[in-house]
Amino acid sequence: MDVQFDSESYWNRSSRAAFSFDDEDEVDIVSTELPSNKWENNGIFSDDTISEASFENSPALNHLSIKAILSEEALKLVLQEQNLDERVIHKGVSPDEELKLLRRQIQSTLYSPDLDATAQKLLQGKTAPLEMFRSLHEKQQLLDTLLSNGGGHAVVTVLLFLKRTLNAAQFHAILKQRPKALEQYLSYLRESGDVSSHIDLLQRFGRHQEAALKQFQAALASEDAPSRKQHLQRLVDAYANAGVGIIPLYEQVFHAALKMQLLMEREGTAGKQLGDQPTPIELLYVCCQQNNNWKEQDMLKPIAPQRFAADQQISPAQYEWTALNERAQAQAYADLECIFERVPTWHPLKSKQFHISFDLTLAVVRLYELHAPSTVLQLFLSKMGNSGEKLALAQKVKCIKAVIDAMAGLKQQQELKQLRETLPERSEEQFYCENALKSLQSKRWTTDNIKLKL
Amino acid sequence: MIMELTLEKKLQGFQLVAQEKLQAILCSIPGKKELILEPALIKPLEHVCTASWLKLKGIQRIYKHDAKQSLPRAADEVHIYMIRSLLGTYQTLLRQLQPLAMVETPDVFLKMYHIICVPSCYTYYQTLLEQAGLWGLVQLHHYNWDFIYFDQGVLSMELPNLYECLYLQGDSSPLPAVAQSLRLLQMICGPPAVILSFGSHSAQLLQMLQALGKLPESSNLPDYGGWLIIDRDKDYPSSLLTPAIYAGLLLEVFQQRAGEIVVDNSKNKISSQRVELLQSKQSSKGASSKPISVRLNSASDEIYGDNRYKHFAQASSWIRAQVKALGLELQKLNDMQLEEMHDYVARKLPKLTELKAKVLRHLNASEIVIQMLGNFRRLQALEEDILNNVSRKRLLGDIDELLTTDGQRYNTLRLLCLLHHCAGVAPEELQTFARNYCNMFGHRELGVFQQLAQAGLLPQLLPEKKAPTKLLANLPLPKFQQTEFQANANRLKLLTSCGDGPDGAASSKEVQSCPSFVFNGTYIPLVAQLCSILLRANTAEELSTKLAMIEGMQLHLDSNRQTTPKAYAAQQKTQSPGPAAASSSGEDADVFPLRLRNLFVFVVGGANYAEIAACDFISKLTGAHITVASDSLMAGSDLIAAAFSN
Repeated sequence: MDVQFDSESYWNRSSRAAFSFDDEDEVDIVSTELPSNKWENNGIFSDDTISEASFENSPALNHLSIKAILSEEALKLVLQEQNLDERVIHKGVSPDEELKLLRRQIQSTLYSPDLDATAQKLLQGKTAPLEMFRSLHEKQQLLDTLLSNGGGHAVVTVLLFLKRTLNAAQFHAILKQRPKALEQYLSYLRESGDVSSHIDLLQRFGRHQEAALKQFQAALASEDAPSRKQHLQRLVDAYANAGVGIIPLYEQVFHAALKMQLLMEREGTAGKQLGDQPTPIELLYVCCQQNNNWKEQDMLKPIAPQRFAADQQISPAQYEWTALNERAQAQAYADLECIFERVPTWHPLKSKQFHISFDLTLAVVRLYELHAPSTVLQLFLSKMGNSGEKLALAQKVKCIKAVIDAMAGLKQQQELKQLRETLPERSEEQFYCENALKSLQSKRWTTDNIKLKL
Repeated sequence: MIMELTLEKKLQGFQLVAQEKLQAILCSIPGKKELILEPALIKPLEHVCTASWLKLKGIQRIYKHDAKQSLPRAADEVHIYMIRSLLGTYQTLLRQLQPLAMVETPDVFLKMYHIICVPSCYTYYQTLLEQAGLWGLVQLHHYNWDFIYFDQGVLSMELPNLYECLYLQGDSSPLPAVAQSLRLLQMICGPPAVILSFGSHSAQLLQMLQALGKLPESSNLPDYGGWLIIDRDKDYPSSLLTPAIYAGLLLEVFQQRAGEIVVDNSKNKISSQRVELLQSKQSSKGASSKPISVRLNSASDEIYGDNRYKHFAQASSWIRAQVKALGLELQKLNDMQLEEMHDYVARKLPKLTELKAKVLRHLNASEIVIQMLGNFRRLQALEEDILNNVSRKRLLGDIDELLTTDGQRYNTLRLLCLLHHCAGVAPEELQTFARNYCNMFGHRELGVFQQLAQAGLLPQLLPEKKAPTKLLANLPLPKFQQTEFQANANRLKLLTSCGDGPDGAASSKEVQSCPSFVFNGTYIPLVAQLCSILLRANTAEELSTKLAMIEGMQLHLDSNRQTTPKAYAAQQKTQSPGPAAASSSGEDADVFPLRLRNLFVFVVGGANYAEIAACDFISKLTGAHITVASDSLMAGSDLIAAAFSN
């Protein structure tokens, strides 16, 4: 066998390009459209040569014959089991055998159906006539046999047959008594994309939560925004009045989705750059981009970031993180203070406080990654309580002033002096460092210390 | 000339059987044949045959199937479609072929359209074919390539949706095909003396295997002393924990297809899980470079072979050292005499450059892994605390913070699933998390929580709030209140890091002598522990004492007997007076200790490299061979991703 033939190049073609084996060198493109390069572009099928050397385990296999691993009888059995249609009578069968075969077939079609043989065949994916299972009892028996044998596809085959040959009441009664069969049938409906039957059946069997979920997914999958809105509205209304308790999370998300849909409709510009169905965080990001007053956000405007976050029940941490990223990307560092400083609601007269809902370290690292200037980093670092951690982090993000602050906090005079030597002469940092040293030294004589000594 | 037929050779021989089976189908179809393949089938099919082989079997051209566009057929051509047995795919294809029903009249003798379903053709496909009016025009076939040999000791069936079907959808349709493949394994490697199964799907699989009928007589000697078949949901932590070994982390970061990973500098499995807007856009260096695929096969890539099951830190520093050494080696060229150089260039250089290319590929891959995992230590500390249920409340907070500041579509959810599995998550807690999650990744992901609850990975959400339970959940649980996972894990001694404190230091030294090294010394994969128990048991009694407390384990002995480890031990005891009696009856003698020291492990619903590496470790320790097979190889994020497909 000629294995020199490079198999790779044959797979490397776009869907509409085929290759004929007649002329091995040239690729015969029978294309009805432009030979699309999408496979080339994402590069899945273009690889370097070495790792692709050979996919056959050829050195081993060239010496290995199938007879060594599988007896002739076994191989024959394997191939026979692969054959789907056993009703075909092969050539070379003696008339006697042919007669036997036909007699058996007639017997199984006209008279008593063979339960086990049918179940066995179905399990292997082979065609087996079901028409002779006519009485309800026989039908149920067949289903139950398959349910106990496993192999869900055979169960589906029988269920489809039952649906065709029984009325709805009987069919549903059978499903009701057999939860496993119901599960299998539901899975079939879901896979087949028959959404309405799927939802109907879920509701019929009292599984309202799943039905609601399915309806929600169907609503979101609607092609255009108006019909999506309409479906969502209907869904929200239906469950508000239905009286079946719905999972609170589902209810919240249904409402939030509807609200977002309405918002995007009204504020057409908001989601333009984002594709058809942005996530709440993505939309929040856009709201942040469009917000131009961070000192006092207009809570009457639905696209003010804070208002939007409240409407969508976006957690404070998510709001702050998104705003931090957006403002830093926009290099509007001055706004960061407004995001993290707030007046305590319980005491409006008190001065503003710094408040952050996630680990400060993460904020500092992210700001550093976004190339924030060191004054901004210092601002955030100054909020850290633990001077040891502050020092380590300040060194990591190369914020000299914060390093000096932290050293001063730790009273590391020696280290400060060393640091001063490394700083450029007459630079701002050097002055800062000297001041820190001075205040450290002068602190000895503050009144607090004297009092303590006395 | 008779070659010695080793076990590994036999396992590679599955390819020959797969060729034989494909040939039988192709040769049963007369005419000028064109093959139209579903794109996802191409990579696995390359493990079965080459394009030139297909040509020999009469295939004229090969196309990639395009669901959006149907392929025109010349009058004398026969179209053979090859697709996965997924109802959606099948229906799309039928819709595409639908126009035929109007124009063509069935020809009893020569069908111009064929559909080969991999791995099985479900019986109701025939019904659907008839409903679509295509009966008689299109003929259905099924084709199962059984086990594909990936690497030494690693087999996969490449059935990517099996986990989803069985555990999330409650659909057992793919099981018969697996049973058939296991039967083929029995034909090739002989039936084992004993099969240990754990889980309902595993038990069902064995029942099907039996229903398939007796095996034909074989002259081959049996290879495996025992089989271990286990359901994925019996050991979720092995999938949910982040592995610490090289092969495992490669799979975490890079997309795997049929035993090879794609290393792409611009995107990978982790970066695509993040929300793009919230990324600190680090300059994507070399984004234009071509993606490279690396085969996870030790025979074709010795660098991989040397490092696959090593701790990642060890592997990556080894690779870096190797790069340096090679650089020095190539520098030697400068100091050589002309003659020396001739010789060198002719004999050594090609090998060296090839090796260098391989090493550089691994260097690139390991650097991307390091970059993607970020603060790996923090993640591992978090996982360790989750495993040992240390301050649950803080863990929830940490996971929520991760979601906010480094949200990964699958991996963050995976941590919550791990927490639920090990320590339990209350529905109210899930509600809060889910709300934040939907904000982050979109409302359309709402269904995921129900899907994961189906698999037992998350709690079921409840229609009404239960106030009192919330109080209880907030209380720190006392140590002795174990979750079911911990009870079982302790019985089987899977948790290796719970005794923190003074022996914490000692454990780092022991890491190398315990299969838990695959998870940085915190957890032993269940399959590895069971293998070790099976190989070390000297009597049925011994096995029984180790496994008696675990529910759902079954022993299957050759003569179709199904029992539990305990019952089997009891039975052996009553027989035992008079060893002569036992040996005379032959069959009833205790199967332990296993006479054949090879084990075959099958995980129903996706194995992972941590398990494979741990089994490899056990096999080296006990001198046995362990083959790990599964329907597919999955990283933890793949498992979670399965819940997203609907």
